[in-house]
Amino acid sequence: MIMADDKDVLRDVWFGRIPACFTLSPDETTEREAEPYYLLLPRVSYLTLVTDKVKKHFLKVMKAEDVEEMWFEHEGTPLKWHYPIGVLFDLHASNSALPWNITVHFKNFPEQDLLHCSTNSVIEAHFMSCIKEADALKHKGQVINDMQKKDHKQLWMGLQNDKFDQFWAMNRKLMEYPTEEGGFRYIPFRIYQTMSDRPFIQTLFRPVSSEGQALTLGDLLKELFPAAIEDEPKKFQVMIHGIEPLLETPIQWLSEHLSHPDNFLHISIIPAPSD
Amino acid sequence: MTGERKPASCFLDEKTFRLCCRLFLQHSESIQDGWIWEQIKGSDEGFMKKTVLIPVKSSLLDKQHESIQAENTELPTDDFEADAEDETAGVDAVCESHAVLRYEYHVLYSCSYQIPVLYFRASALDGRSLSLEEVWSNVHPNYRQRLKQEPWDTLTQQEHPLLGQPFFMLHPCRTEEFMKPALELAHAQNRKVNYIVSWLSVVGPVVGLDVPLSFSTAVSAPD
Repeated sequence: MIMADDKDVLRDVWFGRIPACFTLSPDETTEREAEPYYLLLPRVSYLTLVTDKVKKHFLKVMKAEDVEEMWFEHEGTPLKWHYPIGVLFDLHASNSALPWNITVHFKNFPEQDLLHCSTNSVIEAHFMSCIKEADALKHKGQVINDMQKKDHKQLWMGLQNDKFDQFWAMNRKLMEYPTEEGGFRYIPFRIYQTMSDRPFIQTLFRPVSSEGQALTLGDLLKELFPAAIEDEPKKFQVMIHGIEPLLETPIQWLSEHLSHPDNFLHISIIPAPSD
Repeated sequence: MTGERKPASCFLDEKTFRLCCRLFLQHSESIQDGWIWEQIKGSDEGFMKKTVLIPVKSSLLDKQHESIQAENTELPTDDFEADAEDETAGVDAVCESHAVLRYEYHVLYSCSYQIPVLYFRASALDGRSLSLEEVWSNVHPNYRQRLKQEPWDTLTQQEHPLLGQPFFMLHPCRTEEFMKPALELAHAQNRKVNYIVSWLSVVGPVVGLDVPLSFSTAVSAPD
């Protein structure tokens, strides 16, 4: 089997798309019937960043006074816009038929579940905050702090305008490490699952053991979610960008190649589909 | 992070965090200050929590006033003239019957930044959550100028990492700036500090949380 070039992996991750169908909630007041709106969503972006067209489409059939902050829901679960789109899909709909059915709301904002997102600067602030936290883990924040404001802006603009080269021109600096270390100080990761109240699991995890061995995805899960690596029977799927990487994959490699633009490795653990 | 200049002085490991909290909670219990430890089911992680009821400026609950503020600015203005206007507008405005707000403060440990972080949420007694604008207007004017400098370094709405619900958070980056002078002074005087007491005494008042003076004298540092 021919192994894909590492750079190809970066492109495949960046350009991953999910077909979605947006339907207006029956609770909304409309002047006439609203047609559903179809859109290909970038896995690595955020719902509120890429749905201006969805908003415009539904506003056509609504009165201005009936329109408050737009929010999304899938089968009754409010969708957290601040999670990358691909993570939301893997977590809630990866084993359902495509397209991903999302319901659009313009009132009754669920204050207890969702963060507000009044403007794109809120998304930018959140995105940059994640990048900063990831660098705190990888490099004690030294790389991000040494960058200028315009470099930070380049990261955000790259994501916002879907410019792979512009983004990676800067992001590659955040993926470097001293050769003698063998990897980052700690791996920025989050493990999500829908079966617990806790939103995610995040702890300090070094990519290289004290004996100098490269640790794997399996090692990470053994420590934090051992049930996910049980085989007989297989109860869970461990998903990153919609695929199940081999457990033998070094966690350092995953962090460098399968992280989201926010520099975090987002891992979804979902119940294995029963055949 | 800027703490690199003085290694370890601004950082706190998780074990020390828990010890400091335990000592903090012991004193809180003795003076009935209301703090408790909330453990996460099925793990050894947890956080300190305190709920307070605070009286509110009469202008705060006026919906008309809010919507005008929201239309004019993304972040509230912080000059004193604007404040004076707020007060007079409030006096003329119609108030709701609830003149009390419920603030819930949580002290969590951030393993990414290796420091404690303050989360809080606020609601009216009828359960309505307060917006960022409303919370901002409760921040003392003296602090607003500094907090406004970096949009993503200040007071923002965040998902609570253990509960998954929207809270407001004072971003860790700014916290370091507040802490450094206090820690350096204690270090120079060969005094040991309880990090949580020092830290909360500085950041708490910024968001309306009072830490009685007895904490500074009565709570010891972990060994």
